[in-house]
Amino acid sequence: MFLDLDKKPKDKVAAIDDSGASLTYGEICGFISRFTHALPQRSLFFIFAENKIGSLLGYVGALSSSVVPLVISAKTEKTLYETLRDKYSPAYLWAPNEMLPGLGGEITDFSEAGYTLVKTGLQSPALYEDLALLLPTSGSTGSPKLVRHSYRNIEANAFNVLRLFGLTENEHPMAVLPMHYTMGLSVISSHLLAGATLILSGRSLLDKGFWQMMREHRVTSFTGVPYSYELLSKLRFFRMDLPDLYTITQGGGKMTEELFKAYADYAEQKGKRFIATYGQTECTARMAYLPAELATTKTCSIGIAEPGGQLSIIDKDGRETFEGEAEGEMVYRGENVTLGYATCAEDLLKGDENYGVMHTGDLARRDADGCYFIIGRLKRFLKIYGLRIGLDEVEQMVKAEFNTDCHCKGDDEKLIVLVTDARLKEVLPAFIEGKTHLFHQRVEVHVVKEIMRNETGKVIDQ
Amino acid sequence: MTNLEKLNRIFCEVFNVEESALDSGFDKCNIEGWDSVRQLSLSTAVEDEFDIMLDAEDILEFTSYDNVNRILAKYEIEL
Repeated sequence: MFLDLDKKPKDKVAAIDDSGASLTYGEICGFISRFTHALPQRSLFFIFAENKIGSLLGYVGALSSSVVPLVISAKTEKTLYETLRDKYSPAYLWAPNEMLPGLGGEITDFSEAGYTLVKTGLQSPALYEDLALLLPTSGSTGSPKLVRHSYRNIEANAFNVLRLFGLTENEHPMAVLPMHYTMGLSVISSHLLAGATLILSGRSLLDKGFWQMMREHRVTSFTGVPYSYELLSKLRFFRMDLPDLYTITQGGGKMTEELFKAYADYAEQKGKRFIATYGQTECTARMAYLPAELATTKTCSIGIAEPGGQLSIIDKDGRETFEGEAEGEMVYRGENVTLGYATCAEDLLKGDENYGVMHTGDLARRDADGCYFIIGRLKRFLKIYGLRIGLDEVEQMVKAEFNTDCHCKGDDEKLIVLVTDARLKEVLPAFIEGKTHLFHQRVEVHVVKEIMRNETGKVIDQ
Repeated sequence: MTNLEKLNRIFCEVFNVEESALDSGFDKCNIEGWDSVRQLSLSTAVEDEFDIMLDAEDILEFTSYDNVNRILAKYEIEL
């Protein structure tokens, strides 16, 4: 069975959520057998995810029953949901009860933990036999482009991550990253494989309830994005008394040097471990990690390939090397490299297009000890608050809505939008926030006379 | 500018609203998007504007317009 869920002790608690409800491994198995009878195999199934037990059940139910889920945020903007529905044609939805009135379709009587199965009346498209899971490329933001995962991808990631952290059934991880986000799902699947107890929370780190849960459930590990760690510093995290918290781990972008050092030193002083990691949705979350014992000496490094994976660099002369100092595009090989993308329903029939090799689009430097450092990016996107903001997508959105020329650039602090229509200066930040969830104060609009392009149409840096 | 005007301007900028929207119903439950990003922007802007250092417990209480008013009183900022 998926993640060997049926081999865990039946009365062991698998998850506890914000409501205080808990779920055992035995109850998961019972739900899976009911789920298997409720839906035909190889159906396409949308999960409106929240970090709650109901949502978790939909995910493990689907993965164990040969039903293929697309996991999206329950807060997905309605027009984006409708675009996804019209494009991919799911036969079923799994949604929180309070969302049901707005979804349409036939509400079935198959329901569990605040979630209910809805029959859309649409016919599932044909699905590739090894297709297991679909995730948006950009969390909850704008694009209908999906990443196609195989069953092996998910199992391999769960096992690699389990080995990387040495997970056992005694872990109580704080699973606070959203389930529709690859790293959030990775925390869940790796700990279920270990037979641990997930503490599922949809709360903000600035919610008192979050800290009550940390203490009450004696949380042993915390996984965050760089922004989570900025927040924690503000909350004087270094002075908090959290004796059970042993592992703090980070992914989803680059931390500042100052912040990285602060957490590395904190962990060393308090006898905890700080583990920076690197990953992408395209590789089922994790790909590299910096072993805890190197945290204080290799500041801001993403370390080495995770167990089961291999990293290399292709330099500017096109030469690929696996060791020694080098600089160039970082390439990853491993069983967690996903099958490829989907941009329409027909793509769901496609097989493996990556063959286990991923050109990451990130520029890296490898030092003499074999540790990797990310130094830049080849692809046109930003990562702000762990959100991936596709620059081309934002440009298209703005052009389509406002009939203006537009060019986007920026860094992982802010998005800069160049437009030619001065009237847009005020409205664009709110518009972009509405579409992408990026906080409007991180959007800067520059009005320019003209967006300069060279003869091939490529924008000249300005 | 009075302290109240300064505070209201911070709220208007962080939440992208008119000043008239700021009343006792302006809180985390009623305002969509009152997430950690906004809450921290709010508390950081307040710290910078009034030159204070908020306790962690107070940052966690930045969940409504009324609360923020009340917390500022604690730091002897008269509104």
